[in-house]
Amino acid sequence: MTTSDEELLTAVASAYAERDPAPVDLADGVLARLAVQDLETEFELFTLVQAVDTHAGTRQDDGPETSASVALEFAGSTYRVLVRISDADGDARRLDGWVVPALPIRVFLGPPGDDLAHTRQSAYADRDGRFEFPDAMRGEVRLWLLPQGSDAAPPFVTPPFLV
Amino acid sequence: MATHGAPGGPTSSALYDAATDAFRRWRTGEEPALDDLVRLMSPVLWHVVRATGLDRESTEDVVQNTWLTLVRSGDSVRDAQAITRWLCTAARREAWRVSKASARLRPVDDDVLAARMPDEASPETDVVTRDDNAQLWDALERLPERCRKLLRIVAWEPRPDYSSVADVLEMPIGSIGPTRRRCLDKLRGELGEQA
Repeated sequence: MTTSDEELLTAVASAYAERDPAPVDLADGVLARLAVQDLETEFELFTLVQAVDTHAGTRQDDGPETSASVALEFAGSTYRVLVRISDADGDARRLDGWVVPALPIRVFLGPPGDDLAHTRQSAYADRDGRFEFPDAMRGEVRLWLLPQGSDAAPPFVTPPFLV
Repeated sequence: MATHGAPGGPTSSALYDAATDAFRRWRTGEEPALDDLVRLMSPVLWHVVRATGLDRESTEDVVQNTWLTLVRSGDSVRDAQAITRWLCTAARREAWRVSKASARLRPVDDDVLAARMPDEASPETDVVTRDDNAQLWDALERLPERCRKLLRIVAWEPRPDYSSVADVLEMPIGSIGPTRRRCLDKLRGELGEQA
């Protein structure tokens, strides 16, 4: 029996996808890079208004983790962002955010020094201004917020914070 | 898996159609359609660029730069149906430029690659597929490097532009078609099939 060219090439494509796969965050890195390109304006730096460790007093070194741990509030000249970081399944950390007032916005999460936006995760805020990173990257990070649309507010970046 | 759905290849008219549709939507002002296009085509560009011999890190840069070029000059792609070819050709030419410009980038041969990649198939792959893939990979490894590169390109790239393929493989354009056929026949031979 002879395999057709198409069947054979499909198998070859699968073999390469298995042996030398594209990085899982390849497309996210591209999108982050595209989002920051041609931004003539500097990002406005949010200020940290409030940090509440809702975990304080309950954490024990070997004790069970409870859910919500840290709530942060950042403010810029035109809007505020509330961030809650909590434990998710396993070792994962979850980041929930709200933009107030709600506006269509593109959000990136990444390490502070990542100038090329290689490793940023991306999300969109929904109609209520809510966005989420169900499996947020760990360590020192910051959020870049890019309002969408023609009459967009300026882009913002938060100071670094810990996830 | 990192492939985001079905791999490309000549049978993948679905990928080609989806990319054409996403590009058309983006050009008519639907911004999130660009995300769709990026997610569809980035894995394809990955394989197209890796087939030129660039290392993984440089390949990621080339893929990012290809998209930047598209966004900055998207108007130059007049025909939505040409978008996959435009992207793959731009990526391949950029890869070619990078590898020429940088002497420190030595092409990574597939043999080296194979030795460094785990032999295990992904867990969700069933036993039969795993056997098939291992056998196929062994067969691919016995092909000349030029054959492996060409087959990787035509397996992943929808409707490739032979002139840019000819450039990166340093072959006359007229020999791409016959070489493709010869390489497929060799692969069948290695798989123990009648050519």
